[in-house]
Amino acid sequence: MKNFLILGLLGVGLGACTEDLSKPADDTTPPAGATSGDQTTTFDHDNSGISPWDLIDRLEKEGPPKYTSHVHSCPKVRVATLGNVLTSLGVNIGNATALSAGDLYRSGGNALGAANFANRIRENIGVSTSGASREFDIFAAAADEIIANVGTLERCKDAGGNPATLFDTSDACLPTGITCLLGVPASVAHLDFCNLTIQNASDHATGKRIAVAAMLAAAYTCE
Amino acid sequence: MRKMSLVFALAGTALAVPACSNDPGPATGGDDGSGSGSGSGDEWDQALGQREYDYNAALKIAALRLTGDLPTMTEINEIGGAADLATKKSLYNARITDYMSRPSYAKQMLAFWRDTFKLGETAEFDTAPALAAQLSVQNGAYTSLFTANAGNCPTFNPADGTFTPAECGNGGPVAGVLTNPGVMKQFYSNFGFRRVRWIQEVFDCTKFPAEISATPTDVGGVSPYTGVWPFNSIASPTNGGGRVNFQDVSAVICANCHTTINHIAPLIANYDIDGKFQTKISVPTPLDGSPPAALSDYLPAGETTAWRFGTPAADIAGLGAAMAADPAVATCGVARMWNWALGKTDIVDTLQEVPADTIATQVTAFQTGGFKLKDLIYAVYTSDDFVKF
Repeated sequence: MKNFLILGLLGVGLGACTEDLSKPADDTTPPAGATSGDQTTTFDHDNSGISPWDLIDRLEKEGPPKYTSHVHSCPKVRVATLGNVLTSLGVNIGNATALSAGDLYRSGGNALGAANFANRIRENIGVSTSGASREFDIFAAAADEIIANVGTLERCKDAGGNPATLFDTSDACLPTGITCLLGVPASVAHLDFCNLTIQNASDHATGKRIAVAAMLAAAYTCE
Repeated sequence: MRKMSLVFALAGTALAVPACSNDPGPATGGDDGSGSGSGSGDEWDQALGQREYDYNAALKIAALRLTGDLPTMTEINEIGGAADLATKKSLYNARITDYMSRPSYAKQMLAFWRDTFKLGETAEFDTAPALAAQLSVQNGAYTSLFTANAGNCPTFNPADGTFTPAECGNGGPVAGVLTNPGVMKQFYSNFGFRRVRWIQEVFDCTKFPAEISATPTDVGGVSPYTGVWPFNSIASPTNGGGRVNFQDVSAVICANCHTTINHIAPLIANYDIDGKFQTKISVPTPLDGSPPAALSDYLPAGETTAWRFGTPAADIAGLGAAMAADPAVATCGVARMWNWALGKTDIVDTLQEVPADTIATQVTAFQTGGFKLKDLIYAVYTSDDFVKF
């Protein structure tokens, strides 16, 4: 009983916090676990939901719904969309070579939060440690393929048919190539980051791989 | 002593929570969904007011969501090179229209509805998401999800993004996705309650309890009964001879949720484990031996099925009509589209609420414009909130 009252108090608090905070809470959903069955009570049925602690943490970090509902969140790139993005960057996602970008992508459904409809679970679009880690691994593995193929990508040709180029002959980063990678116009900051990464690496080839992977990771942590 | 400390700690947390957003007063931001803010108001209004238009950033997000791929260099450059904001907006809006005319948009909509419905990826389970995707592509009415009486189980051709209408063939009445065999099979359960929960959460965007009275009633339990239905409107061993005590008050007040649930469930209880309609109730009970449920298990004699208190529904078609007429259902539809566009997680599972003020403009347009889904999606993706960062 005492535990129930504790959870009830917490539930009232949460209801007040997630709505406009000037309004009273009207949520009387029993706390998670309250409808679990035992020998003496009713039938077991799950009413679990978001952890109240996670919700409090989210509200503290992101702000109230009257603010957050107006702004973009940071969902991960959907699994299918990630495959399309990789393909449009010149990556062969059908590559069966162990630990290639294609192999990491195709075997990464669980880590990336793919749907499990047989168990009534939709795709998880939240950024998780496992999902982000796998995505970064894929980008690191894909860097060489992307560097080799950017110049051939139809998607990255401009209206005049000119291909995108990632690096010039002195291994300096070029805007067209970065724009092709990111999907938005390359900024000075993007170019600076890219150039610094190459210059500070042990050699330029390694630096280019790191630069491409790092920019992709930054650009596609959120969809 | 340790327990008491825990009580105080958690109670303190509960009391502190309302202060977590430092919300000292009413919002002053616009109610047109723009969230432009005026720079006045509290810190959140000011933050909204400081956002700036970025049509290239919006284009990338829109391309990934609406087509599942990145924008092309030409698409990026045409907006990036536009001379002024008005031109950028015009080009951006035109590109959204273009994106929404592509076959890839149909694939994206199918994926969206699979996630929303929590089923799909096989022919058997894809027909409900396909119907919703078809409406989204062909600018059909959202209300058709509850009222369409033919062609409710279309097939989808991902190669060209087309839909081919087909009948579900599972017998019985036909009412949008409410009678879909895949839905009925996926959410089969004791008493059919999982189906009711699916309807409630997907289309009303809240968990149960769905109906809450402003005047709670003491029914002898640890907390009051908060439903709007009469407490005796649902069955129990002492109220109509039901075999399960839905009037139990020893732990939680079951009736808070079950007054609503029990008035809906009998409407969809005739679908069997394979989602086929039968002439009698075909869902089990959790009693020993799992005997089939009976109407008297849900409701005492004289009670009739309903969508909500005061909104009776004699059959599934009636349920669909009642849902189609419910403003909360329309608002939920807009909120789900809004959350999808803005990258939110599930509105129910993760409590990603959308305050009414945020989507008031889109809801009004949706309701007055015939609940057109494609129009709604276009409106959301071209709203100020979507293109400001």
